[in-house]
Amino acid sequence: MTGTEIALIGAALAVALAGIGSAIGVGIVGQSAAGLVTEDPDKFGQTLLLQALPGTQGIYGLLAGFIIMQNIGIIGDELLELTVPQGYGFLMAALPIAIVGLVSGIYQGRVSAAAVGLVAKRPEELGKGIVYAVMVETYAVLALLATIMLLFGIPL
Amino acid sequence: MPIDDTIYAYAVGRTRALETRLLERSRFDRMIDAASAEEALKVLAETDYANAVAELADIHDFESILEAELKETFDLITKISPRPELILIMALRYDVHNLKVLFKAKYMGVKSDLLIPVGSLSLDLLEYAVTEDYYRDLPLKLRSAAEKINEDFLVNRDPQVIDLLLDQVLYDQLIALSRESGLKFLEGMFIRQIDLTNLKSLIRVKRMGLNRELLKNILLPHGSIPGDRLTGMLDEPLESLITMLAMSDYAELVGEGVRDWLEKGTASRLEKLSDDYITAYLKKFKWTPFGLEPLVGYLWAKEIEIKNIRLILVGKINKLSAEAIRERIRNVYI
Repeated sequence: MTGTEIALIGAALAVALAGIGSAIGVGIVGQSAAGLVTEDPDKFGQTLLLQALPGTQGIYGLLAGFIIMQNIGIIGDELLELTVPQGYGFLMAALPIAIVGLVSGIYQGRVSAAAVGLVAKRPEELGKGIVYAVMVETYAVLALLATIMLLFGIPL
Repeated sequence: MPIDDTIYAYAVGRTRALETRLLERSRFDRMIDAASAEEALKVLAETDYANAVAELADIHDFESILEAELKETFDLITKISPRPELILIMALRYDVHNLKVLFKAKYMGVKSDLLIPVGSLSLDLLEYAVTEDYYRDLPLKLRSAAEKINEDFLVNRDPQVIDLLLDQVLYDQLIALSRESGLKFLEGMFIRQIDLTNLKSLIRVKRMGLNRELLKNILLPHGSIPGDRLTGMLDEPLESLITMLAMSDYAELVGEGVRDWLEKGTASRLEKLSDDYITAYLKKFKWTPFGLEPLVGYLWAKEIEIKNIRLILVGKINKLSAEAIRERIRNVYI
């Protein structure tokens, strides 16, 4: 396998795994919110906000994948011929957001779904529910940070 | 933690919304303080019961509202639960209740207007089974109990055997089913109910001065207090029962309940405290984000709500004092 191909695996993993995490997370909150809105349609706006929260991991994954694609020239004029070590560099750099995005997306979904229950009882406390969910977000952001630092550190 | 538990996301989300509509303590207080049964019903009409109350022609028919509400609640929770068969565990009690009513109607010629249209078996099926002595369509355990009752009654003519056998089958099944599904919290609830029932039986038998054999027969299996410890208590004064329970959760409840029982001659305080104890137990699991716990909690909460409404309306119709009604009102789940 060429270095470029290995780098592409990295890009694919970042987008796919983080995307799966978000899809599951958003899915869980959506079900929970649908249950609440069945009985109380006025809560749609608030629950939509909660549902959107676990969606960010997918965006982070896409961002990381995008940076890899740009660095190796898939987007742009010419495709770079990477060495195998360079290729592994990109693959490794993609892993933090890929793995943390997958897991944190799911757990953020669980917290947000619990916050849907909170909104059912105390709609005025939506902010607190969001804060709990955003605590999980921290680790996705840290992983994205690590991925970006690694990506820009690879000598080309 | 298994990811799989999120199959409950929708059901729990919906239950959270339903919980907000449970009647609060202040509503019950207003009903109790109302001048008459009609006034109390008006307070009830301000809630989700409004439509049902509006259609009610005679206040003495209020039972039909409560029955419909209970059925609706069970139907709804069964429908939204990702595993409806687990909700049927909670409905089993009503199958057994209906069987008891039908058997008593058959043997003692009492009219059977106490049937509750909740449960896994249809009333038609049960009615046919009992009147025609055709038990083959009943689930296995119920079937053998029903056949036993039938045989026993022909010989002994003792109606107590109906309650006895059916209760034993009921709790046997409840424990078996909750164990089978690995639902510890449900098993815990049933064990507590068994313990409380057994303690009540012990006190009742003791007060009536009946013998050990009888108590041994009516004690339910699977309780956390061993049966021989309970039968052993028969020879001791009631006070030592409280000492014996001192290490368990039941000490306070039994202490207060028994004192009231001896004073007033009714078990109503103990019954109330027992219900409150189960409510408090289920409240501990209320905030489980994904799982059966909030659904079971809601069903129980609704049963308690209906019980409270019934207590108040019956009390009001019979012109009981506000105080007498208030002390029987169960704590609410919310």
